[in-house]
Amino acid sequence: MSARAGRGGDPGWREQPTARIAPVDSPPVGPDELLRQVARGDDQAFTALYDAIVPRVYGLARRVLRDPAQAEEVAQEALVEVWRTAARFDPAKGSATSWVLTITHRRAVDRVRAAQAGADRERRVAAASVETPYDDVVEEVTASLEQQQVRRCLKGLTDLQREAITLAYYDGYTYREVAEKLDTALPTIKTRMRDGLIRLRDCLGVSVA
Amino acid sequence: MSQPTEIHTLAGAYALDALTEIERAGFARHISECEACATEVAELSETASRLSAAAWEVPPSRMRDAVLAEVSHTRQVTGGKVERAVHGDVRRWRRWTAAAVAAGVVALGGMATVWVVQEQRVGDARQQAQQLRTDQARVNAVLAARDVRLRTADVPGGGKVTVAISPSLDDGVVLMSDLPAPPEGKAYQLWLIRESSPTSAGVMAAGQRTGTAVLDTVGSADTLGLTLEPVGGSPLPTMTPIAGVPLA
Ligand SMILES: [Zn+2]
Repeated sequence: MSARAGRGGDPGWREQPTARIAPVDSPPVGPDELLRQVARGDDQAFTALYDAIVPRVYGLARRVLRDPAQAEEVAQEALVEVWRTAARFDPAKGSATSWVLTITHRRAVDRVRAAQAGADRERRVAAASVETPYDDVVEEVTASLEQQQVRRCLKGLTDLQREAITLAYYDGYTYREVAEKLDTALPTIKTRMRDGLIRLRDCLGVSVA
Repeated sequence: MSQPTEIHTLAGAYALDALTEIERAGFARHISECEACATEVAELSETASRLSAAAWEVPPSRMRDAVLAEVSHTRQVTGGKVERAVHGDVRRWRRWTAAAVAAGVVALGGMATVWVVQEQRVGDARQQAQQLRTDQARVNAVLAARDVRLRTADVPGGGKVTVAISPSLDDGVVLMSDLPAPPEGKAYQLWLIRESSPTSAGVMAAGQRTGTAVLDTVGSADTLGLTLEPVGGSPLPTMTPIAGVPLA
């Protein structure tokens, strides 16, 4: 069964003569390096970065804003800002991917706060769901590892930590609004956001060089 | 609570963009003076960004043209920062490739790798489902292990390769998601690399772009590399890896 390829190796190709190494190609280029090239005005690097990262950018804007047209506008603005301010990216403070997503999230949050009145937001949040149920084993393995990790690590938080973090990140609420919604004291919400993120950081194995 | 203590606790809310504009500006000023908060915010922002993994969505294709057109007539701000030297990963790959070429032949280990194929409906469906469950149980066990270490690399053109290793379970898994479609006749192959020597860690099926591999032995490999090889795999990589995950 071809689905099981590789158990112990396939003798068919092992017997082939070895040493078919090609000359050294250009080195692999990830988002960090692409962004450095973008900072030098390289528009081809920008195109490559765009293609690599745009589903994350658009997906995040869509998550916060719900409305596809607004999400498209915000994603577009964020990506142009990435081009414009690429020289400010500092790899010592985190990954290029995170830098781009931080720009996107901030713009999305600013937009949602400017645009949406209270009642509207209530409905919007009621329609939102943080977790997608995955009861099918095939779907489970198809989900990206990052999604699996995030889901698993969110489950490791206390209810209050998880609610505070998801209301802020996915729905764009301020911590004051979160405190009100969860009927919890302001200092408690601040603290839960912080210690919840710290727990997520450790669970996800995030480190910054 | 004193004011200095109070303000440090805003790092989480700041990383989540949960402060009002005025508070945000105030805390940004604080970060420039407080190294502890600057470090914490960097880590917590990186963490918050991971939450967006759950929101992956392909935008309308017109957006690409619109962004590229706008960029073509947008001036960039200049940073004036000193460029860093060659990236560490790049150096490692160059070293590995050079050493592999010089060695000519590299020993192949008896790596047992299981590929879970989602995109093909082949073989006995029930047997496949059962195998999926067994593999998935191992994947879940590794991911849930207290000592799990996770390492991820972005693949140019899209997707990610992630390695999760649990020393206590002596087990590791590789997850590849949304890789660029391999060219006709090519398949993705994984390599465990120890001191610049690659050992095949499994070949994906032709055209497969997403998969989970269970590694029985990680041993002392320091890097997991990804290449495109002829369908069925190669005894040695025929190209410089397109992505590498440092395991150390
Ligand atoms: Zn501080």
